[in-house]
Amino acid sequence: MLRTRSTASSSSGTSGARVASPRRPLSSRRRRELRDAYLFLAPGFLLFALTILYPIVRAFQISLFHWAIAPGAASAFVGLANYAHALHDPVFWRALGNTGFYMAITVPTQIALGLAAAVLLDARMPARGLYRTLYYLPVVTSWVVVSLVFRYLFITDGGLVNWVLHDNLHLISRNINWLGARWTAMLVLGILGTWKGIGWSMVIFLAALQGVPRVLHEAAAVDGARAWARFRAVSLPAIRPVVAFVTVILVIGGFNVFISVFLVTNGGPFDQTQVLLTYMYREAFSFLDFGYGSAISFILTLIVFALALVQLRLFRRPAGAS
Amino acid sequence: MRTPRLMLALAALLVAAGLATSAAAQGSKTTITFWDAYSSDGPEVKQLETVIIPAFEKANPDITVKDVTIPYNDLHQKLITAVAGAQLPDLVRSDIIWVPELANLGVLAPLDKDMPAFKSYSSAVFPGPLATNYWKGHYYGLPLDTNTRIWVYDPATLKSLGLSGPPQTFAQLESMSAEAKKQGVYLYAESGTGGWNILPWIWSNGGRLTNASYTKATGYLNGPKSVAAVQMLVNLYKAGEMPNIIVNANGGLGTYDGINQHKYDATLDGPWAFAIFSSSYPKATLAGSLVPAGPGGSVSVVGGEDIVLTQQSRHKAAALTFLRFMLGTFAQRQMAEAGQMPVIKSSEGWLPSIHPYYATYLKQIATARPRTPTPKWTQIDQVLTNDIAKAFQGSETVQQALDDAAHKIDGLLQ
Repeated sequence: MLRTRSTASSSSGTSGARVASPRRPLSSRRRRELRDAYLFLAPGFLLFALTILYPIVRAFQISLFHWAIAPGAASAFVGLANYAHALHDPVFWRALGNTGFYMAITVPTQIALGLAAAVLLDARMPARGLYRTLYYLPVVTSWVVVSLVFRYLFITDGGLVNWVLHDNLHLISRNINWLGARWTAMLVLGILGTWKGIGWSMVIFLAALQGVPRVLHEAAAVDGARAWARFRAVSLPAIRPVVAFVTVILVIGGFNVFISVFLVTNGGPFDQTQVLLTYMYREAFSFLDFGYGSAISFILTLIVFALALVQLRLFRRPAGAS
Repeated sequence: MRTPRLMLALAALLVAAGLATSAAAQGSKTTITFWDAYSSDGPEVKQLETVIIPAFEKANPDITVKDVTIPYNDLHQKLITAVAGAQLPDLVRSDIIWVPELANLGVLAPLDKDMPAFKSYSSAVFPGPLATNYWKGHYYGLPLDTNTRIWVYDPATLKSLGLSGPPQTFAQLESMSAEAKKQGVYLYAESGTGGWNILPWIWSNGGRLTNASYTKATGYLNGPKSVAAVQMLVNLYKAGEMPNIIVNANGGLGTYDGINQHKYDATLDGPWAFAIFSSSYPKATLAGSLVPAGPGGSVSVVGGEDIVLTQQSRHKAAALTFLRFMLGTFAQRQMAEAGQMPVIKSSEGWLPSIHPYYATYLKQIATARPRTPTPKWTQIDQVLTNDIAKAFQGSETVQQALDDAAHKIDGLLQ
């Protein structure tokens, strides 16, 4: 309605120039609609402001201080010194690298394996419900339980994995120090994250695949397209927005990895497996350097925000696509 | 109409009377909250909640104690959160290493000012544990229990190795470790490279962490005696005579499991090890002896907990009554039976009669030293853990690792 009025008023100009028309007062019905809309939006926005916006603003404020945690104690303003500290802190960079590594392992594998499982479980097959449940089971299992199980599986001397590889299959000459070295430990954490997350992406993809009209598949089949071609040309384009959604959420989740690292390695040995959140947690809650901890968390927020924007832009539907 | 009105009036009166009675009952009783990290693996929590607190409440019917037991690994974070939110309890059983940090935050009451007859209590406890409460001119708590680490071993494993007794010296430790390795057993397992783990060896070798005024580590932590002590452990580790868990907590069986499965013979540990073993591994039998002596003697590290009163407490008098009770002979003796070493001097007479192993702990604690009393101890400990681990992993020499650590600790002590 508004667009129609605007077009009409601009086309009425004698010289082709846009003529400013006086803004018409909103009708009482329109005002009521707007009021209702804002009323419905208000609770959600309030919750968002309270639990997301306020902590972000507060974290930024704290990051500018040498923060004294006791109520009433004076905090010294240090400007951007905490951010400068992060840029010169090798453990921060290692934690950032480890977080990126974790994300690089878990995001593509969860998408690929989750999508593969969804495609398989979308087909008609016996015991489909059972398989769907089994694949989803790790998602609802406690992070704490799974982390402790993985920790015991990968213990160097006495862990099940080394026992199988070394004592049973004789594939390795001596026990691998899985959790005692940076990259093997990060690999184990990546496997844990992937195993636990496949079920989630599978469920989302499955729901999306079920929304793809069967008639398109049938038409493609009539045209001679085989299964892979149908998946590539019909299913994948149809679920593109869902792939974008899953990717963005998984990247955010990957950057926020905490519980598994905290419980399996706790950032050790000697800070080799720190990720941003475990490092932030230690700086804030063990060393009471809440200013630096907040700076780390704020940097993490900025990175995640920037990555989400880039991904949304990359996944934007090409112009002209229906 | 009259009857319902009368009924309503009567009901209102009854409700009002009930509320008044309840308020009066509550008003006459004070509830204090006590946070602690007593272990529920052993009998500590049970002893506190079923023996000590009921006895206190019987003797002080106007006070109720609300005990909140928090796992040790969570207590520090919970305390910090409570500091920020002004939600601290009345009393806390705090690890001795947290007291300077909490005092520095200004959330603890100075007992030497706020507790009547403080001196009669402070003079009744061992001076070493008492010193852990001192920060910038005041005592912010009183010791509640103390401990140290001794050589805790399984005599059955030792016998199976053909060894007559635990090592008494560094030289014996080295030769016996080599002998045990030949038979597929680690004589000594250690679960970390932090101060609690490594300082007994440095001190026993005559080395030091800092100077006497706790202002400088360079020249002490990286001095020749400290380096030699760590080098001895690194040599044992590199010879395959110590398990991987010293560097990597996930490197193998934990010390208790390893000892129980006869894969390890010994570790250094506090008196709770005996209580936990007797409840969790009833078939195993442990024994204790002094930390193997080096050129500096047999010197271990002081551990333990202090009881502190918070500034936020709204019931300071009641809280102090409970604090005094916890330092009395009854409570100290009850907790000694649960594996907590008492701090009152008068316990020296009766303590060994409770458990024979306490005699070794009493002897060890006579020469034991506290860790550096500073709010920055957590950071210092992290530096020790990280840098000394590098020497074990071989990425740095012991001298390089301790040079780095000393330099970083100098900065933290400023």
